[in-house]
Amino acid sequence: MNPRWLAGKVAAALVTLVFVVVFNFFLFRVMGDPTTQLARLPRATPEEIQKLKSYYGLDKPITGQFLDYAGDTATLDLGISQRTRRSVWDEIKDAIPWTLLLVGTGTLLATLIGAWLGVIAATRRGKAADDGLLGFSLFTYASPEYWIGIILILLFAVWLPIFPSGQQMTPGEDFSSWFAQAADVAEHLVLPATAMTLMLLGQYFLIMRSSMVDVLTEDFITVKRAIGLPWDRVVRRHAVPNALLPLVTLSAIQFGIVAGGAVTIETIFSWPGLGELTYDAINDKDFPVLQGTFLVFSVAVILANLIADCLYFVLDPRVQAT
Amino acid sequence: MTDQRVRDLLFDTWRGRIGLGMLGLFVFLAVFGSAIAPDNPTASSLDVLAAPSADHWLGTTENGEDVFSQLLVGARVSIVVGFAAAAISALLGATVGLIGGYFGGWTDRGLDALENWFLVIPTLPLMIVLARLLEPSLGVLIAVIGLTSWAGTGRIVRAQVLTLRERAFVERARALGASDSYIIRTHILPNTMPLIFANTVLIVAVAILSEAALAFLGLGDPTRISWGTMLENAFSSGAPSAGAWWYVIPPGLCITLLVLSVSILGYLFEEYVNPRLREQPA
Amino acid sequence: MRLRTIVAMLVAMAALIAAVTALPAGAQDDGGKKKVLRLGQAQDVQTLNPFVAQDEENFRAWSLNWDLLVNFSPDDLSPVPGIAESWEVSPDKKTVTFKLIEGAKWSDGEPITSKDVKYSLDKLGTDSLIFSGYTSNVTSIETPDEHTVVVKTKQPDARMIGGLFIYMIPEHVYGKVPIAKLKKDFQPPLPMVGSGPYVVTEFEHGRILRMERNPNFRGEKPAFDEIQFIKYGSVDAVERALRLGEIDAIPEAQAPSFEKLGQADNVKTDRAPSPSFTQLTFNLCSEENCPDAKFNPAVQDRTVRQAIAYAIDRERVNTISTRGTSFPGHGILPQYYKSWYEQPADDYPYDPDKANQMLDDAGWTRDGDGTRSKDGVELSFDLFVRSESPENIQAAKLVAEQAREIGVDFKVQVVSVDKLTEITTREVDGKMAPDFDTFIWGWGGDPYDPSALLQLITTDQIGGSSDAFYSNPEYDRLFDEQAGEFDHAKRKELIRQMVAISQRDLPYLVLTDDPWLEAYRTDRMTNVAKQCPKPTGDVLCQQVNYDAIAQLEPGEGGDDGGSSTGIIAVIALVVIAVAAFLFVRWRRSRGGREPLELET
Repeated sequence: MNPRWLAGKVAAALVTLVFVVVFNFFLFRVMGDPTTQLARLPRATPEEIQKLKSYYGLDKPITGQFLDYAGDTATLDLGISQRTRRSVWDEIKDAIPWTLLLVGTGTLLATLIGAWLGVIAATRRGKAADDGLLGFSLFTYASPEYWIGIILILLFAVWLPIFPSGQQMTPGEDFSSWFAQAADVAEHLVLPATAMTLMLLGQYFLIMRSSMVDVLTEDFITVKRAIGLPWDRVVRRHAVPNALLPLVTLSAIQFGIVAGGAVTIETIFSWPGLGELTYDAINDKDFPVLQGTFLVFSVAVILANLIADCLYFVLDPRVQAT
Repeated sequence: MTDQRVRDLLFDTWRGRIGLGMLGLFVFLAVFGSAIAPDNPTASSLDVLAAPSADHWLGTTENGEDVFSQLLVGARVSIVVGFAAAAISALLGATVGLIGGYFGGWTDRGLDALENWFLVIPTLPLMIVLARLLEPSLGVLIAVIGLTSWAGTGRIVRAQVLTLRERAFVERARALGASDSYIIRTHILPNTMPLIFANTVLIVAVAILSEAALAFLGLGDPTRISWGTMLENAFSSGAPSAGAWWYVIPPGLCITLLVLSVSILGYLFEEYVNPRLREQPA
Repeated sequence: MRLRTIVAMLVAMAALIAAVTALPAGAQDDGGKKKVLRLGQAQDVQTLNPFVAQDEENFRAWSLNWDLLVNFSPDDLSPVPGIAESWEVSPDKKTVTFKLIEGAKWSDGEPITSKDVKYSLDKLGTDSLIFSGYTSNVTSIETPDEHTVVVKTKQPDARMIGGLFIYMIPEHVYGKVPIAKLKKDFQPPLPMVGSGPYVVTEFEHGRILRMERNPNFRGEKPAFDEIQFIKYGSVDAVERALRLGEIDAIPEAQAPSFEKLGQADNVKTDRAPSPSFTQLTFNLCSEENCPDAKFNPAVQDRTVRQAIAYAIDRERVNTISTRGTSFPGHGILPQYYKSWYEQPADDYPYDPDKANQMLDDAGWTRDGDGTRSKDGVELSFDLFVRSESPENIQAAKLVAEQAREIGVDFKVQVVSVDKLTEITTREVDGKMAPDFDTFIWGWGGDPYDPSALLQLITTDQIGGSSDAFYSNPEYDRLFDEQAGEFDHAKRKELIRQMVAISQRDLPYLVLTDDPWLEAYRTDRMTNVAKQCPKPTGDVLCQQVNYDAIAQLEPGEGGDDGGSSTGIIAVIALVVIAVAAFLFVRWRRSRGGREPLELET
């Protein structure tokens, strides 16, 4: 791997990160202050509101506020949640593992199933199976993922009460062992992960299908067939690995969409990840948390893109030439 | 649009016919929905979350309102926001792509960096933040979606302009002393328009989904009924747990079908545009 | 794929299923050893720190954990001993001497002394968000000995007895912490030291808040050993849990499903008036107070307001907007205030004919479109309502609908709560300049002392919490007088006069009194009684007093075990899928290759 190229990509990522921080700051300072909510309390006086203003540092000049903000962000001091009065970082820290679980499971399943379906469609191109799969993937792409989630709840939690309709564990339950707790979480994960998988499936399917089609028409495949290798092995050993490259990078690049999906799917299922944190922050107008989750999502996407670039590099040396 | 090939694609393929048909239906609803709705969509009654009946073909909401009427009326927001936001996005993206691609140099580098940044930022979270900061309304939604979706168009236009810029006919025009704006207007733009158009149709699909998502999260226009707000109300009033499928399935299905119809047409136009790229200018 | 691999996979699957099904169902209860009361709620407790928290969920925990200086009687909410055993008001009424209970201990064994009282009144009174304002009149708090607290006020302040809604917190825990930290991100250490029957021992955000019996509680030992507040994802998840017996009670049920919930087996619902109301507010700001306010001048015509009051059927508003779960309003003092409430003489029973007559007599004639006008002023008003409350929006529509019958046109405008705050607190050149004709919103007061609500329409509060911008020197005078009146009968009379004035001038048309909506399982809770106040109050006395919950006793109903059907189904599905896949492959490898055509 060419270190100069890598350093260039990392530098670009850092620059984008700085932009995000600056943008984040000005975005949230441009709006009204969170203290207007206090006017509704019968006992909140103008003095109390002024006290809050100075606590939030809203009475300092803009550059002073920005420097405070930049310094704080660097040390992971993202402020205090207006609702729970815990540090925003603590809230985010608690939420990240749950989002990773949901998003990771969904992405993994979408990749595997999407790829598998893509191979099937590519090798039966133009036939009924291909058309059917294309139609299916188009449908799942066009449908709102939270609607799919609601339908899953209707089907498998209300009409056929097999799975729980929300949250990550059975409320109020004391678990006798780690395994019991893990099984409970797994049970709660099924429906949200299915919704996430269905949301992402289409893209993977299409990419796999089209790259498979490209690969399968290449000369070396025709040669392999001509010398009599079994079809399965041709597909498995030669076509698929070459088609994997765009698939892998797609996972990383799709992160932006995944972030959006996480917000709506977690909301439907009351899944305590970054998405639900964002949704609660929207409703409570908890701007420090909103600012924090937005930052985390942005950083995640930047990181994912960087990893995608690196993976692409490792898997396809042809890219180095650019 | 006068090209025979376009007409063939649109009217003679079953894809084109289905896409046009569905889209036409939804546009019709957007215009005439409130006129043909059997009930006033905001007329509440005590008959809450009632199953479909002769009085209410798709049952009632948690406020006793007629779901079918709401469904008909909700088309307007999706169509209006979808097309308006896509138009803004197209305008922005095309402008940025044209200017950056044609003039090159630092302008291009700067615009490209801006474009990259917009592509990197997770779109829904950004839209959420913007919509929360401003008062949720139809105009805000259109602006927010339009302002966050332009980068894809920008990138495509820029790539196209870059190739066009080096072509023989452009060189010739420049040699003859033509101004930049003339070249852009008569040579670059006409060859980019089909591409912009095809891409914009796909952006309409994204815009419709974005509006629905924002509405679902509670950031839609509170004074209007849209399919997204229907899903939001259904969810927050416990319709899924109550098994009220008549309230929960239709709005999402409409969103899906509308997005499908637009997407099908979009892919059709893309198909039309692609081979064209290799042709010579008029 | 070789046979060995297939067998290995199947064995692994079988082992997994066996392991999962062999799991003991989650322990819901130690089989009768510990008596647990489980309450379900859809909103989490925000934070337990009394200096910064604001939600109702907090009060549910705090009211079990701590006493007030003077508690509220479950019979009629009047003052009864809390940390103070007795009290004496000086002849000039500006000094109140509290004698504290003796020998009482905090849950950690430390004695409860006057130092704690002084600290609580001082610090929570000035530095908290929700408990400040009660001690606005206090000039000094002295503690001559461990069991005496002497509070001196500028003027006589009747709130000293029964109106100081400030929890008594332990000075030895909070006093050590710098005030800046207390107001920032301080989380009280657990177990949360207190004097009530239960103390918080565990607080897991988003999951559970656990309270266990306080070993040093000075009252009768409660029957339940533990109380759990369990967080659910949504209100209907809570209701489902109640029906299934996963929880025993819901302190906050929702209106749309309230009736249906009550029909479930072993479930009883309870509806009681609370100290809050929903009102239609009129912009009554005078030229002097708000020179730049914007409104339709007709809104300040008293006859018009009174006619509107007669035209609105508050019973109907209640039935439709809240599905009958609220109570029709009768003025600025909700019926909840048993000690003070009297039905106002001017109660405006539904009478649209009278309303029409009043407007006819005053010269308001109808236009072509039915709206009345006089001297170029139309009876057409903005009616703002916040989008966050479907009930308020419904109420607004009903108001508009009924007002149309008498020729008054309300234009309902749904806006966000931020926008509504903005237009009602608009300022120009340092003076208030509200920009609205009418709006619908709500207020809530304290359990006993009515000052908080009565104060809303005083002149002093213009620029503060006044949102009708009403100013009446007579009303102000009466307010100050009742604020310093310790004699119950005399105070009640003053309040009656105040309510009469507010009903005559109608800065607020109170549409409904909001309810406590609770639901509980009859097989899990016995010795349940409506109290706070008796006999119309709620069964949990939530947020007000701990006696109701402390005297609850467990029922005979058992617990249902949890089941893991879901995960078993998944594993079964996976096994079937794998088996099918393997079968197909096996068949294919038997029957030769299937050449697939490839289009070029």
